Amino acid sequence: MNGVRQGWLVTKRELRERARSRAFLASVALMVVAVAAMLVIPALLKPGGGTRDVGVTGSAASGLAAAIAEQAHAAGITARVHPYGSVAAGEQAVRQGRLDVLAAGARRLEWQGRADQQLKTVVTGAIQVVTVRERAAAAGLRPEAAAALLAPMPVSSVELGHVAGRGPADETAVIVMTGVLFFCISIFGAMVLNGVLEEKGSRVVEVLLARIPARALLAGKIAGIGLLGLAQIAVTALAAVIAVTAVGSIDVPAIRGSVLAWAVVWFVLGYALYATVYGALGSLGSRAEDAQAVAGPVMVLLPVAYFASFFMITQPASAAARVISYFPLTAPFAMPGRIAMGATAWWEPVLAVVLTLATIIGLVQLAGRLYTGAILHSGPALSLKDAWRSTTTAIPGPSPARAHTSTTLRHRARALAGGKTTMTQRDLASHRLLITVLTGIAVALGVTVAILTSDVILGVIAGFGFFAVATMMVRLWTGHSGPPLAHH
Amino acid sequence: MLDFDAVTKRFGSLTALDGCTFTARPGRLTGFLGPNGAGKTTAMRAVFGLVELDAGTVRWQGRPVTATERARFGYMPEERGLYPRMRVRDQLVYLGQLCGRGATDVGRTVDGWLERLGVAARAGDRLDALSHGNQQRVQLIAALVGDPDLLVLDEPFAGLDPIAMDTMGELLTDLAAGGVTVLFSSHQLDLVEDLCQDVVIIEHGRIVLAGELAELRAKVPQRFVDIRYRGLAPNWSLLPSAELVEAGDGQARLRVGRDADLAAVVAAARDRADIISFAYQPPTLSELFREAVAA
Repeated sequence: MNGVRQGWLVTKRELRERARSRAFLASVALMVVAVAAMLVIPALLKPGGGTRDVGVTGSAASGLAAAIAEQAHAAGITARVHPYGSVAAGEQAVRQGRLDVLAAGARRLEWQGRADQQLKTVVTGAIQVVTVRERAAAAGLRPEAAAALLAPMPVSSVELGHVAGRGPADETAVIVMTGVLFFCISIFGAMVLNGVLEEKGSRVVEVLLARIPARALLAGKIAGIGLLGLAQIAVTALAAVIAVTAVGSIDVPAIRGSVLAWAVVWFVLGYALYATVYGALGSLGSRAEDAQAVAGPVMVLLPVAYFASFFMITQPASAAARVISYFPLTAPFAMPGRIAMGATAWWEPVLAVVLTLATIIGLVQLAGRLYTGAILHSGPALSLKDAWRSTTTAIPGPSPARAHTSTTLRHRARALAGGKTTMTQRDLASHRLLITVLTGIAVALGVTVAILTSDVILGVIAGFGFFAVATMMVRLWTGHSGPPLAHH
Repeated sequence: MLDFDAVTKRFGSLTALDGCTFTARPGRLTGFLGPNGAGKTTAMRAVFGLVELDAGTVRWQGRPVTATERARFGYMPEERGLYPRMRVRDQLVYLGQLCGRGATDVGRTVDGWLERLGVAARAGDRLDALSHGNQQRVQLIAALVGDPDLLVLDEPFAGLDPIAMDTMGELLTDLAAGGVTVLFSSHQLDLVEDLCQDVVIIEHGRIVLAGELAELRAKVPQRFVDIRYRGLAPNWSLLPSAELVEAGDGQARLRVGRDADLAAVVAAARDRADIISFAYQPPTLSELFREAVAA
């Protein structure tokens, strides 16, 4: 019986039990209805879709009507033109809301409230065209010559701040994608947190941990909730697509398949990363009510990582954006955006994936350890420090004196036991792993920064800075003087 | 055969287990005794790797316990708990599968136990819909679904009514007769004395007494003489080489040395009272326990 098979059993249980729960089914239904309503209702509230009503008065009415229709068509809206005998009658219609705008004598536009800029451009353009035509005729120009003179010249618009070939639609798509990712990680991460607390609250966790390793339990739970989350997103997305095609209310920006695939990859990675943190923190509490208390760190971290990704949107190719998109905690939010905006070389997403995966593996190990340490605790929520400590004793600190004493103690314990202490060695293995992961990330970060900025010193500073901050955080969290540094 | 070999566990400055060495043998019930906080639960958790040991090893059939061995262990923690909202049968099958057994195989085991413990009718109900007694039955089945070779039960008799206690006792005896190694903790010493062949007594993390109950009782240097008599209570404390332990209405319990001249004690007693019966026996488990823990 290996951990993977057991993890899969946990996943299957999560899927079966959650899919069976009325609360889950209700939440799926609610989400589908809400999204569909959001897309359908605006379309229903505006009868006739984009059709506008334009009133015209005065002598130029007949020519103007045709010109307005032409201009509106070019702008992608439908305009109905209504001639009025008097300005007063037209104004009456505007006040009653039957007209969007009245072109009074082809000289003045009258609105009920604020001018609709798009419609204003259309009607003004039409008036200009008609006037120019009239003047051309008055000047003796043949209608064909006038038409040739007035033929529109297509003008394209390029935003130099963006990477070639990508436009504002991509930016919107990226903002939406990142937002959805943030939303999903928050929701499903909280589900992992509550699932862990539920198992602790009902005390079933001791029965489970007597059978399977904490790692398998946590990983299986995260996978189950994640799969369910993906299914929920897929159903909601399908509902959205159906709703949009049914009413044609908004233009869906054309997103490339590869961008979508990357978005899914980053959803999975981002979720796995943060869900692991949520799960580990969940093990520190003992009841559902502790959720708020224990989730503090990740509830600060997650929004910070999310908002850091906005920095990337404005400058997707800058060095800072690159660093944000490699750093495992921010990569899930920043990298899919850079990919969508075409601002990445092929190796960049791959590097970010590798770094994030390494972090996830390290985190699962760490979380499994915290989980085992904290899981048998009940009562007030534990601090990270206590949870770490309760799994272990005599962690050698980096100071030679302490390392010496604890080593001696360990030797004595070993001598007393008359054999080797396998558990203590497992302790060391997990510390070594932590150090290896942290060092790996620090080196990778340092090298990338050095390459990107062409400045070795900056790279070294970044690498050491990361390592220093990371070990300091471990120290703060665990209360001992850092993981052992090669004393064994 | 379960072996604790110099197992030590510290929580900060507190030593929960201090070089614990004892054995639980197959086909026998081993009672694990000790005052509250002596380290019983920690020792049981150590069998399942729920605490990381500072020193020593827990062995099963001579090999250090790993996940492979644990798949054949059953455990009932002191803090009872299962998924309250999961259906009884689904839950038990799931727990059996976690031990590495196939779903259909576990299903048969689960159905058998549900039937035997009289909760088969509630198999499809959510656990929290069951009465307290039935929930305890389900909890016991949860320890048995893996078809275990070793059964570790933390306070299995706590909170049971007298009928349920008898059922539990019979069940454990049956399991042991089938070759299972059974280790359970309890504060009910009379019950342990009736059920168990072996006992282990722990105090402040140290094993103070361990072995076959009959042998332990025989080894103790004291014996007890229980006297029943008619009439007024004489002054028992004047008997030669005997010490009064307790005296009641028409009965008295005296402590004598293992090598005491029993005939002299009997003769002296006869001189003082109208004796109905004498009983000469080794100490009870609860006397052994008090002695061991007080030392």
